[in-house]
Amino acid sequence: MTPSLARGLPLVVLALVAFGLPLAVTSATYLHILILLFLYAYLTTSWNLVGGFAGVLPLGHAAFVGIGAYTSTILSLQYGVSPWIGMFVGGLLSSLVGVIIGLPTFKMRGAYFALATIAFAEGIRVMFENIDYLGPLQINGPRGLQIPPLKTGLVHFMFADKEPYYYIILVMLAAVLALTWAISRSKLGYYLVAGGEEPEAAQSLGINVAHAKLAAMAMSSFLTALAGTFWAQFTLYIHPKSVMSLDISFEIAFIALIGGRGSIAGPVLGALLLRPVSDFSRIYFGDTLPGLHLIIFGVVLILVMLYQPRGLQEPLTRLYRRAMGRLIGDRGAPG
Amino acid sequence: MKVLEIKKVRRYFGGIKAVENFSLDVAEGAIVGLIGPNGAGKSTLFNCVAGVFPPTSGEIVFLGERTAGLKPWDLCRRGLARTFQIVKPFAARSVLYNVMVGAFAGTARRSEAERRALEVLQRLRMEHLSHARAGNLTIADRKRLEIARALATRPKLLLLDEVMAGLRPTEVDEMVAIIKGLRDSGMTIFVIEHIMRAIMALSDRIAVLQFGSKIAEGTPQEIARDERVIKAYLGEDYGAA
Amino acid sequence: MLFIIEDTINGILMGSIYGLAALGLTVIFGVLKVINFAHGSLLMVGMYVAYWAVLLTGMHPYLSLVVVVPVMFVFGYLLQDILIKPIFKSEKEVREPITVIIVTTGVWYILDNLALLIFGPQYRNIQDNPLRGKMLEIGDMMVSVPKLWGFFTALATALVIYLFLRKTRMGRAVRATSLDRDAASLQGINQYRIYNIAFGMGTAVAGVAGVTLVPFYNVFPTVGVLFDIKCFIIVVLGGLGSIGGALLGGMIIGVIESVGPQFMTATWTEAIVYALFLAFLFLKPSGLFGVKYDW
Repeated sequence: MTPSLARGLPLVVLALVAFGLPLAVTSATYLHILILLFLYAYLTTSWNLVGGFAGVLPLGHAAFVGIGAYTSTILSLQYGVSPWIGMFVGGLLSSLVGVIIGLPTFKMRGAYFALATIAFAEGIRVMFENIDYLGPLQINGPRGLQIPPLKTGLVHFMFADKEPYYYIILVMLAAVLALTWAISRSKLGYYLVAGGEEPEAAQSLGINVAHAKLAAMAMSSFLTALAGTFWAQFTLYIHPKSVMSLDISFEIAFIALIGGRGSIAGPVLGALLLRPVSDFSRIYFGDTLPGLHLIIFGVVLILVMLYQPRGLQEPLTRLYRRAMGRLIGDRGAPG
Repeated sequence: MKVLEIKKVRRYFGGIKAVENFSLDVAEGAIVGLIGPNGAGKSTLFNCVAGVFPPTSGEIVFLGERTAGLKPWDLCRRGLARTFQIVKPFAARSVLYNVMVGAFAGTARRSEAERRALEVLQRLRMEHLSHARAGNLTIADRKRLEIARALATRPKLLLLDEVMAGLRPTEVDEMVAIIKGLRDSGMTIFVIEHIMRAIMALSDRIAVLQFGSKIAEGTPQEIARDERVIKAYLGEDYGAA
Repeated sequence: MLFIIEDTINGILMGSIYGLAALGLTVIFGVLKVINFAHGSLLMVGMYVAYWAVLLTGMHPYLSLVVVVPVMFVFGYLLQDILIKPIFKSEKEVREPITVIIVTTGVWYILDNLALLIFGPQYRNIQDNPLRGKMLEIGDMMVSVPKLWGFFTALATALVIYLFLRKTRMGRAVRATSLDRDAASLQGINQYRIYNIAFGMGTAVAGVAGVTLVPFYNVFPTVGVLFDIKCFIIVVLGGLGSIGGALLGGMIIGVIESVGPQFMTATWTEAIVYALFLAFLFLKPSGLFGVKYDW
């Protein structure tokens, strides 16, 4: 077995397992949990493009989820546009908003950007909670929008079973991971890392750091909005608190940070480790100990930041490499 | 042909005059040294030339173009590269990664960037360190990495800010040879240095800065004989270095 | 016309309390150069401490300052010493460790949800206190007495901080550290102890703000989030690190919130505040009194 094959093989196995899981998992509840897990892995990976590679701290990504969810839902409810098309309209809109937030803030200190994203996200949520109609568009304020499950099928992005949703989010996750991988090896990826680590040095090497960050922000907000559409079609009911709350923004950021910002596997690992914590604490302690999972997240986050600032992916990758090395006698090229 | 023209540049920070009325030409293919005691304004001048901040007054012309309004990345793309006195490696990444960041200034293709980066590493005799983590390098190697990264952008003018500080004598000799080699391949070099032996061996011309003003300019021999320079500066340092 | 003046006055009073809360944030930023994202949660903790102190002993709400200020100071001091100091030590050269933002955000979430676990989601207030619902009649205008107390407390706190920084030996050490931490260390000032003290002070100020709120405001686990985001906006309006700017920024927000509902649905004023924040962000990111080059 050649080393590159040995490194590629686990990925193939992983993909096969993910693809075959619905055959083994027949419980709707567990499938639901898995779908949410992949959704969060998708969201954190999208977040990572700007929060990880660009070295800034966006804390308002729920705004993009919300924009995506509302855009496709309004378009499909009021104008009969397929959510698949609405999805990309929402993505573009969200991208525009992301650039608008980034324009003034990427030239300033990191805290400014973090503050601006929170304020922007909360501002948009407050707006949606206060508006019933935005021009001709029905938003319905805090009551939100219900999607009647009339027409099912792939074209309508609506299914009676959970399996199709599972495969859609799985494909979305695979696509965003592949994109992240490609970016991390591209000029943009190098420029983002350089600008995030040593902005002055990066600039002297020909990098317009703010531009690189804007590009990352545009992509990240675009991709995040796509998940918003998925969320709307999956739950068939959206309201400002469900798709735009600060809790969602923070959960995305926390998971990515704990897993390991700036690495490809980190955010997915984070979702794999933390989403179950969040689901099970809600299922078993939701009534007695509300918010327990957020306390756990907070504590884990702080511990990780103090003792393993590059996230749990680092020690886990090291373990994995060592195990693989034992197994096939290949040490793996560093870096 | 003049690669760089600095014309009556002033730079004030509030009431502090960091650089006062400084003029200097750097001819193509020359190695020009800038010396002066600590706090004389050398790095400030470099920062003005590299576009980090604009001069308070005066103008700087690079390859026939006035640089007013150009940012560091604009200047880099026009062929001006620099190193920092306090090295700023992308510490968590490999040496090759660091140099590729520079190489991407001239190409969007990864394979080409990697080829150019390896070429530069070879030239600086540090290809064996390609996969080392930049943060783990010795001081001497970090300084070389700083140069390698700048070289990878394929500059016409290279600004070197104290790349020999903290090096051992043999390492200094090696660095002098490297810099001369760069000049021989057609590059123009403007260098700030504290180590007299090195700057004297290296430079075609030297300018001396004191309290923000130029007090002398000439060949190394002329500078070594200049009364004001000896009094202001060399008197205490020349022998020691 | 009269009601607008009345609303403006009450807005200034409430806004001064916002400003007081933001003052704590600005003190911490001034010295450590980092934004404490847990600030609102610290205010929430201060409110609960005051609430229980008043409820259990029946003391005058403002007497609870005797408890709240030292408790919060120690809390902030330890928080910086245990959680934030290690980050500064490991990221010495970084101008503004982003890790500090992350860790304080973690603290925010822990504190808010711990409060939810311990005290439950219900809104609490002290019905039986001498300030509650009191109004001062000036001609035909009504001015809220507890907010008036808050207003004077805010001014007094700002003055105390100002005098501390200018007139005391310790205050001068704090200022020296805020100007140049390396130079201050060379002068024999223990940088990290100063950080602890500044963080303790900022937290104590959040506690003072909590005390001024308790007589008329509801206490609940996520009350801090409201103030957190307001404080962020206020310090951006006023300029980070500026004491006067914090008070003025607070008053601006307060007036918008109290006069705004005369012209629109009350909830819309919140959106106006965000819009104002974004306008500043685009047009004058250094705020009204901020130092420009720092940003």
